[in-house]
Amino acid sequence: MSEFVSSPVLGERFQRVEHRSGLTILLCPMEGYSTAYAMFSAKVGSIDTTFKTQREEDFVEVPPGIAHFLEHKMFECEDGDAFAKYAKTGANANAFTSFDRTAYLFSCTGNFRESIEILLDFVSRPYFTPETVQKEQGIIGQEIRMYDDDPGWRSLFNLLQTLYRENPVRLDIAGTTESIAEITSDLLYRCYHTFYSLGNMVLTVAGNFRPEDVLEAADKILQVGEKVEIQWRKAEEPQEVAGHYVEQSLPVSTPLFQIGFKGEAGDSLENMKRQLADEVLMEILCGESSPLYRRLYDSGLINSSFGSEVLAGRDYLCCMFGGESRDPQKVYDEICREIRRMAAEGIDPEAFRWCRKAAYGRYIGIFSRVESVASMMMQAHFSGMDNMYEILDWVKELTLPGLEARLRKDLDPEYGALSVIKPA
Amino acid sequence: MNQKLDRVRLGSEVYFTSIQDRKFKHNLISINLLTPLEEETATVNAILPFLLRRGSKKCPDFTELSKTLCELYGASLNADVMKIGERQVLSCAIVGIDGRFALDGEDVTAGCARLLGELLLAPNITGGAFPQEDLDLERQNLIDTIQAEINDKRAYTVNQCRALMNEGSRLAIPRYGWVEKARAITPRMAAEQHARLIDTAKVEILFVGCGSPDSAREEFARLFGDLPRHPASFVPEPVVETAASVREKTVEMEIAQSKMALGFRTGCLADKRETDAMKLMSFLYGGSPFSRLFVHVREEKSLCYYCASRFDQMTGAMMVDIGVERENQPRARAAILEQLDAVAKGEFTGEELESARLSYVNSLHSVPDSLSGLESWYLTQILLGRSDTPEEAAAAMAGITREEVIAAAKKVTLDTVYFLASKGGEKEDSEDE
Repeated sequence: MSEFVSSPVLGERFQRVEHRSGLTILLCPMEGYSTAYAMFSAKVGSIDTTFKTQREEDFVEVPPGIAHFLEHKMFECEDGDAFAKYAKTGANANAFTSFDRTAYLFSCTGNFRESIEILLDFVSRPYFTPETVQKEQGIIGQEIRMYDDDPGWRSLFNLLQTLYRENPVRLDIAGTTESIAEITSDLLYRCYHTFYSLGNMVLTVAGNFRPEDVLEAADKILQVGEKVEIQWRKAEEPQEVAGHYVEQSLPVSTPLFQIGFKGEAGDSLENMKRQLADEVLMEILCGESSPLYRRLYDSGLINSSFGSEVLAGRDYLCCMFGGESRDPQKVYDEICREIRRMAAEGIDPEAFRWCRKAAYGRYIGIFSRVESVASMMMQAHFSGMDNMYEILDWVKELTLPGLEARLRKDLDPEYGALSVIKPA
Repeated sequence: MNQKLDRVRLGSEVYFTSIQDRKFKHNLISINLLTPLEEETATVNAILPFLLRRGSKKCPDFTELSKTLCELYGASLNADVMKIGERQVLSCAIVGIDGRFALDGEDVTAGCARLLGELLLAPNITGGAFPQEDLDLERQNLIDTIQAEINDKRAYTVNQCRALMNEGSRLAIPRYGWVEKARAITPRMAAEQHARLIDTAKVEILFVGCGSPDSAREEFARLFGDLPRHPASFVPEPVVETAASVREKTVEMEIAQSKMALGFRTGCLADKRETDAMKLMSFLYGGSPFSRLFVHVREEKSLCYYCASRFDQMTGAMMVDIGVERENQPRARAAILEQLDAVAKGEFTGEELESARLSYVNSLHSVPDSLSGLESWYLTQILLGRSDTPEEAAAAMAGITREEVIAAAKKVTLDTVYFLASKGGEKEDSEDE
């Protein structure tokens, strides 16, 4: 089955193909570009620690960091390393694991057909042995150590561990040196056969390529497999936070901070909508055009490193502000005070108008880069959104009362916390 | 190539370069002031982009400026200072959506160009000085930025190695200058330096995007056309071709993972073909997940998560860096040097060389697919005094032979090893030459 999805505003479209193997393939050729960008993604990430399929009776609990470990190990094939195969095509290959996604990707300006075959092939054929698992423990151990020294990363995970008591979003994506020591090739195979079933994956390609090359490669390589029904154990996460403050000392010059508010999480699609609304809300609250930003900046409490972002996924939603400050507690107090004032007095309609306009311009930008188009198609698909272009309509349709409702749900100081990295 | 490249002179050492490509949805305009890195001026130069980013004479209020950017559909305005070779480049850039996506058909590009021109040439200076409050804030921010270098241990290690390697030369001057000099900056001093740069710096304006560059070019032609300027000529110092001996330094810190950077000299690189051979050699050695360093130091020995090499054509230096356990540092160092030696002896396959070449060429062909990629590419070309397109660079890479790669590796000499050691092992704090 195949259909086209279009955007009248952008004058662009992409094609959705439901491949006979059970895989959804989303294709967006982009005129004028030299690069093709392909992502083969599975809906699995660091939060998938307890799960089962229809084949098993009991839930299995796997060591934290296993999705990321699996991502590393997939590059090793029985007939050699996937990077070595890409080396022959010139493609620039990589992979990443986030809280709820694992993506294998490449970009290339030639030999697309060969590269897409390599991608589909190595992700379809797991190969793990005790020896190669052990070797990878050394490499990932060094990756974990590297992040242990990264103040931004540490402050983020310290914050998530303070906001969430049970939800596995609180766990470091790569796990710990201890947790990855428990990973075995058998556990990796179990994860693979659960999450890498084609119904739980998506292939997205954007830029300079011929759709028939992708479809022919899919016909050649992908096998129809058993349909896997994945059940994951939903964490019993209370709305209350585990604490309001956490700190750690590291060799940094000035304190770094992350402020977070545990928002009201819906399902994936709802969270994607809420994320967009919350981004605009946070821009109004403490973006560069806001009175609060000005007060904080002029009093030397924040500098240009200050920024905000929303972390949203399957069953979590968290609004965060981060940066450097000599007095993070004061920044946190000021933000909470402004949230309360805004909740009581309402949002300035003019600020709403210009921040929405700015968001519209920023979202247009997503559709002019091959990597962000491929990524957006993947995100939208996994969130249950059929037409990624609707995101521009979502921005246009934002309303003042809608944002005020989100303010009360997603930026409630009662469910906030401050994470600080202090100079050692 | 779908791209239309145009370069015009707008005034004395003021150039406007435009690259138009319909596939984009945005337009990027950047103004770059090119000036030699000097001890006396590096720090006061570094504060200027941040002062200019605060507002202009016409729009002195930062909040109003931010609202204007929102009204331009969230146009992003960035000001920073870069260190490229022996030059400091003060850059102000704005990226905005093209008018065809504006909901009310506004001319966003003309608005962006006007704003950028006002910020650079009509800053908020009264009576020969920036506002004291702005200066106080941005001076503190500059000090914080200089001190925050230590937060990123990987970049910090490479920078320390580079500084040690170039001690006493212009190349050792830090990008943002020094804390002590930052403390001494006054509102008047900053305004005087702004005037001096507008008078003497080489000015490179770049426009990259889908829209017409006409309105931006006209705006800057008007602003710079009548400006009496006195650009200073600049001749870079000759590069150090070979390391006389290996300089080593170990510093301890409370960190989980130790970091090591090795600084190499690659010899005189006046010749373009030799430079291309060195680029390809460095890529084969440590520029990809199938390079010698990745395969032999990471994958075979499990010593690290990252180990990579980068060649800087502006300075002729090649840097290798690795994150490693302290006790494994000697093994890592030996493995890194062993791989360089292997390349110099020609102990690599033809397939390895072709893979490196293919991957390098692939990255060159990708340059025209992003606004920032194009801007950075052509700014570098301008600094090199060249005007090669990425396609031409890719074609040149195709002609580099195996013998030239081997010859390039043979020219490389180790100059400096900087080791940021995790505290807790044996105590060793040394500096030898």
